[in-house]
Amino acid sequence: MRELGERIAAYLAHRWPQAADVDVEAIDRIFGGASRETYRLTVRLREGGGLRHLRLILRRDPTSSLIETDRATEFRAYAAFHGTNVPVPRPLFLETDPRWLDRPFFVMEEIIGAVSTPKLLTEHPYLDCREAIGERKWRILGLIARTDPAKVGLLDALEAPVLEECWRRELDYWERIIDEDEMTPQPIARAAIRRLRRDPPPPPRRLSVVHGDYRTGNFLFDDTGRIHAILDWEMCHLGDPLEDLAWALDPLWSWPDRELPGKLLPRERALALWEEASGMTIDRRALGWWEIFASVKGLAIWISSGREFADGRNQDPILALASWFPTDVHDRVLVERLAPEVDRS
Amino acid sequence: MKPEVDVVLRSMMTKLLVEVAPAIGDAYVRSNVESMVALLAAAAEEFDRAAEVRVAENRSMRAILRAAAVQVPDGDLRARLALAAEESDPSLRIADLNASNDRLRALLIELQALVEGSDEGWAREIDGAIWAELRASARRRAISFYPF
Repeated sequence: MRELGERIAAYLAHRWPQAADVDVEAIDRIFGGASRETYRLTVRLREGGGLRHLRLILRRDPTSSLIETDRATEFRAYAAFHGTNVPVPRPLFLETDPRWLDRPFFVMEEIIGAVSTPKLLTEHPYLDCREAIGERKWRILGLIARTDPAKVGLLDALEAPVLEECWRRELDYWERIIDEDEMTPQPIARAAIRRLRRDPPPPPRRLSVVHGDYRTGNFLFDDTGRIHAILDWEMCHLGDPLEDLAWALDPLWSWPDRELPGKLLPRERALALWEEASGMTIDRRALGWWEIFASVKGLAIWISSGREFADGRNQDPILALASWFPTDVHDRVLVERLAPEVDRS
Repeated sequence: MKPEVDVVLRSMMTKLLVEVAPAIGDAYVRSNVESMVALLAAAAEEFDRAAEVRVAENRSMRAILRAAAVQVPDGDLRARLALAAEESDPSLRIADLNASNDRLRALLIELQALVEGSDEGWAREIDGAIWAELRASARRRAISFYPF
């Protein structure tokens, strides 16, 4: 870790030629970043005759990851939303030259004094402001849906599908992941995919920015009910805003509790907040399609993580955890959504 | 007497959780150890039931394929269903049970894709039986706790 800190300090000195004596005083790896290695840095430097301390986050591509994502997409999303009413950390540098840290990475400012662990929402002091956090969470998602991609510079940066093809592009992509990575036939996922293709949703009224992994666990909150930042934009794309809403509602994020999606607010309250903030009315049939899709996408991710682990490309325990537990949950969720009403005993 | 595998795994799990993890200063390493504890607990559960789950699944799927084999109009599929329905698991080793399970699941997928598009009574019955088995399978395989 010390050597990594020295290499990061050399990079930062290169990016900040006006600074002197750049040193990484502390470096800690943050647990849970299955798609990127994430490090927390305390950096000291001299600038303008004074000593400064900075707290930064560095996200580096792993040798192999749970999902193959483009770090440039994530960096662009942070740059697009920084300074808007969708809170995100300030992005600093995106680096693809492997001479610095062997693999591409980007650097952003750390948000201090906030946490992201979902389990904390069931404990004091966070439990007391769970409703306030929930209101912010669903409103911010509505604001993301409301954002004009062109106005934040994402229309040119991300592929823009025609409205009628939003659902197909996503379903094709995640079905291909299952095709490539499944280690055993998946009858539940396959039945769900056939159902989705038989009965596609109507197109959205307009193209929205889709975060791609908007859920409890991917935002920073504090014990006053404030959300400081939305994180983990690596699956950001343009598409149907109901995709994000359905993913955030998925029962996995509050499992086994079905009453409070994301451990925060009752479903109907969440939907009302989202409608108010987005200015859109939810088509319930379309939302139902995207909710089945969300569980299929989840299964694809867990299947992929299991494959990475089993093949030895990445044996981080988080990949085995992601494969074993959420797979079971999403299989059960899909069976409940899709099976005929008979035999529900 | 030798302690059973699940007993050993649970004992190691407790040791890691109570003694090892709290002594680790690095939060990332400590979280990794806690993840391993959850995996050990799941492995202990799976050790006890793995063969039973697979034997039950294979038996149920063969029954469905057998019932379908006398109904499906496609001769090639009918023959493959009948053949699979009459096979038996070569041993109780997990690798053998999984190999049978994979073959049966692949056929089940093919069969369901066929029957779910049909309004005929036998097809509706087979589709219902497949969903009942998928529901039962999801329950059988679910790990009894959720660590997140």
